Amino acid sequence: MIWALLGPELLLAIFALAVILLDLAVKQKGVLAVFSIVGLLGSIGASLALWGTNGIALNNMLVIDKYALFFDVLFAAAAILVILASTDYVEKLKGFQGEYYALILLATTGMMFMASTRELVSIYISLELTSISLYILAGFLKDAKSTEAGLKYLLLGSVSSAVLVYGMALVFGTTGGTHLGVIWNAVKGLNGIADNPTLIMGIVFLVAGFGFKIATVPFQMWVPDVYEGAPTPVTAYLSVASKAAGFAVILRVFFEAFGRAPWLSQSWGMLFAILAAITMTVGNVVAINQTNIKRLLAYSSIAHAGYIMMGLAAVGLMESQLALARSGILFYLAGYGLTNLGAFIAIIAISNNTGSDLIDDYKGMVRRAPVLSLGLAFTLISLTGLPPTAGFVAKIYLFNAALQSGLLWLVIVGVLNSVISAYYYLRVVKTMYLGEPASTERLSSSGPLRVALTASCFGVLFLGVLPNTVIQVTEAIKFLVS
Amino acid sequence: MGLAISFWLLAAAAVGSALAVVLLRNVFRAALLLISCFFAIAGLFVTLGADFLAMVQVLVYVGAIAVLLLLAIMLTREAATGSPFSRWRIGGAIASVALLAAMIAVFRATPWKVADQSVVLKPTTAELGARLLTPESGFVLPFEIASVLLLAAVLGAIVLVKEK
Amino acid sequence: MEFNFILSTIVFLPAVGAIIIALGRGLSPRGIKLAAALFTLLAFGLSLSAYFQFDSAPGGPLFQFREAASWLPSINSQYHLGVDGLSLPLVVLTTFLGIISVLISWKINLRPREYFAWLLLLETGILGVFTSLDLLLFFLFWEVELIPMYMLISIWGSGRKEYSATKFVVYTIFGSALMLVGMLALYASAGTFDIEALAGMNLATVHTVIPLAAIFFLIFMAFAIKLPVFPFHTWLPDAHTDAPTAVSVILAGVLLKMGGYGMIRISVTLFPTVAKEWAPLLVILAVGSVLYGAAVTLRQTDLKKLIAYSSVSHMGYVLLGIFALTQVSLTGAALQMVSHGVVTGLLFAMVGVVYDHSHLRDLSKLGGLARQMPVAAVVFSIAGMASLGLPGTSGFVAEFVTFVGSFTSKAFDGIQFYTILGVVGIAVTAGYILWMLQRTFYGPPQEKFAGVLDAGGVEKVAIFSFVVAIMLLGVYPAVVTGVLGAGIAPVVRLLGG
Repeated sequence: MIWALLGPELLLAIFALAVILLDLAVKQKGVLAVFSIVGLLGSIGASLALWGTNGIALNNMLVIDKYALFFDVLFAAAAILVILASTDYVEKLKGFQGEYYALILLATTGMMFMASTRELVSIYISLELTSISLYILAGFLKDAKSTEAGLKYLLLGSVSSAVLVYGMALVFGTTGGTHLGVIWNAVKGLNGIADNPTLIMGIVFLVAGFGFKIATVPFQMWVPDVYEGAPTPVTAYLSVASKAAGFAVILRVFFEAFGRAPWLSQSWGMLFAILAAITMTVGNVVAINQTNIKRLLAYSSIAHAGYIMMGLAAVGLMESQLALARSGILFYLAGYGLTNLGAFIAIIAISNNTGSDLIDDYKGMVRRAPVLSLGLAFTLISLTGLPPTAGFVAKIYLFNAALQSGLLWLVIVGVLNSVISAYYYLRVVKTMYLGEPASTERLSSSGPLRVALTASCFGVLFLGVLPNTVIQVTEAIKFLVS
Repeated sequence: MGLAISFWLLAAAAVGSALAVVLLRNVFRAALLLISCFFAIAGLFVTLGADFLAMVQVLVYVGAIAVLLLLAIMLTREAATGSPFSRWRIGGAIASVALLAAMIAVFRATPWKVADQSVVLKPTTAELGARLLTPESGFVLPFEIASVLLLAAVLGAIVLVKEK
Repeated sequence: MEFNFILSTIVFLPAVGAIIIALGRGLSPRGIKLAAALFTLLAFGLSLSAYFQFDSAPGGPLFQFREAASWLPSINSQYHLGVDGLSLPLVVLTTFLGIISVLISWKINLRPREYFAWLLLLETGILGVFTSLDLLLFFLFWEVELIPMYMLISIWGSGRKEYSATKFVVYTIFGSALMLVGMLALYASAGTFDIEALAGMNLATVHTVIPLAAIFFLIFMAFAIKLPVFPFHTWLPDAHTDAPTAVSVILAGVLLKMGGYGMIRISVTLFPTVAKEWAPLLVILAVGSVLYGAAVTLRQTDLKKLIAYSSVSHMGYVLLGIFALTQVSLTGAALQMVSHGVVTGLLFAMVGVVYDHSHLRDLSKLGGLARQMPVAAVVFSIAGMASLGLPGTSGFVAEFVTFVGSFTSKAFDGIQFYTILGVVGIAVTAGYILWMLQRTFYGPPQEKFAGVLDAGGVEKVAIFSFVVAIMLLGVYPAVVTGVLGAGIAPVVRLLGG
């Protein structure tokens, strides 16, 4: 039974090992990508086979519910798109191709564990598994920029991990357990902040530690440099999967351990609401002046973390809105994930040809690469939240959840932020469609890239036109709480 | 009483040497003081009855990490002096002091549960092993994830260190 | 359940055409134009057939050709289309201008594939706005129009095209952001996005999360910007001046009407009490738009800018008619929307013809073109007469009905005074229209226009269609007033008078 429950994660870990071994044996390195994708598909299959089971194992630490499985599928799907987008990139690496794919698989494994455990030590270790793999991937190119990105990510990430562990220690110290159910049992007996101020301090540290992973202000300073310097496929993976994993953990931890005592949940709900407002505003305002598309998307990802935090705030402020807000967060993560991956895939394809990430070099791109430009424009429109895209439905759906929790002011802030964001997203679209191209040379793109771009764009369109197919799934997702 | 005195002495030593690590300009001395900090923390574990942790603290931190650190310092040229203080030092100091004050206030305001003093201390190693590795009641999941984590770290070491 | 997909077909035919044009790599420029014409013509034909099937008898069903499908059940939003007497004429107008704008664009040779794809996508967005019976769907289509307009103005426009396009987008998106907040607040209060359900539930008695008037104005702002109402009109002259001719036609013809339509369909229908309460302020704004628009128009020397500002003035009548809140005034406002759509569409088309052939839009340099362009001169004059409200044209009927309705309104004391002030605008209109025609076509023939040709074949088809429509509406307004009245009557009933 345990083996079956661990299936999705275990399969990936095994494939990660096997990819390294296979790397020694094969000359044709494309096989490695195919092999990794097979592993990820197998993992998705395992998750789908488990769909509907509610399994608890390993001393109540491993919990396989629909919530965990949804994220398992999300991470694996994101990893597949990233690997498809990496093939060109990786060929330039010469060595270490097996390690590259293995690390992506290991990072995915870590994220899956993050989503399927409800015990602080396990959460921490799986978070570190993810982070360490990503530190290395960020520095994978070994040139100056990539190394700087990797080092910066490592240093700031370690500090945030230390803060996180300290917060966990305080929570453990005041509640007597690291298991979320045990923590909740202790929290249940409290009536207000004065009963246990140290616990509150621990929670604040948890917010800070997790806030680093989802890149909320004021823990966002690593984002632009790391996103810019890291290999673009890794950036794409960071911005989508790593962020989603952060939200997966936060929602589970904060709801199960701290979310059912109104005096406590309203405090952290308001904290998330304020952080959300600041985060989206800072992200969007700073994004306006960016000249590098990767930095622009870095700030945009900060802004989107702000939008998603509206859902956390909604859960905290009104427990009865859990189902709607959780579904809103899940749908937003899926829609945002597809959209952002699509945007990055287009960027990868363009920079593979031009070698530049400057927005100025996108001038007249529509005449050099009409399909790529259309794909990038479409995903940027989705990021803005215009119809008929996933971003539009996701925003409306999540804003509605926030409104139902009485967060009208935050919804107004969110909507005004969308207006600001339209300015810089559309500026990129404008550059591609209006400028005079620097050369008339057509851009070429590889097959896997085209497949990945097409898949994500159709996904974005599908979620925008027929969102109910997915919303039905996300609304049926519950997590097991003890 | 003696236990309390030694706890506070060790605590003062740990904090004092940690501060010195940060403030000293000479990297080598800072590293030595880091070792003294590790030792003090190991002592703290002893006063708290955590014998296994104290031993691991010495073995891993002093025996492995600190030695590695010293090795790295010795092998790196011109590393004798660390980087100068950044322009944020005043803000950083204020923030640290504010955080410290807040934490002291919070800890003093918390009604802590005090453990039963009459429990007889006994070796913890066997107990820890059981707690880590019993599937039904132990921390098997984080233990197993840690092994995957090590794999990722090994891969990272290979990728980052080995030339192409 | 209803199994009638005529509205969906009308709405999405242009979008399908857009996709085929965008992806059909084998199409020649001529093939693209033919495909665009074919799809818009089909949509026009279908909408006409819907118009003739429409049952406008009193007591008949209000919304017809309804389609409903589950879209987002978790927030109670449906894919819900339907037309009543108010929206159906606007649908026909949109499809009519759709085919006309394709014809007017026949000479576009710069990136034709993208141009026609965007143009057709734009038409789908506008049609969707007029047929949605669900607020969220309404909002969705409202936003769809944004990107195509931006592209059309900034790529195929002239002058400060990027500036104008950006200004258009910023104004619109700001308005729609407020509208979204208003709609979500409405949903949070009433629990549905369905326009019919909302209209039936008397929102004044519903407990709302923010004051009802606040919701009203959040939504109203989007419409006020779009209509446009002074002082939110400044995007309009820029967008008009720099847009390509066909886009100006669409913009003046139907895009502005989205604002007026939204005011009747949503602001007045869903918030009758708030509308009555605030009518004085809005009527004053309306008269302000009329007079300000007219006064500024007098000072324009650029043909396109002149007509653009005249739109501000004419849309003021729409606002006046709407918030005079009577059956007659509302019918007048709706009629004015249809009439202005055709008349101003033709005016912009004529400016396009003049500009294409003479390469001038500056009134101080034009003159005496009547000899070279007799057909254009006559058609332009007809459009001008209709614009200033000469009897026998659609403009006369629309303005007359609006004024009569407003003058007899009992919405608040003193509305008669404002109506009379509004009538002054007509006199000014006569002034600038005649002056414009005189400066363009009459006077001594000029040497530099010696080789200028008259309107060509495709252009003639387009402009004569306009003339027929204007005359038809002017001589026999009953073709639409009956239908419009059937759409307005329930709104007036909600107003309680």
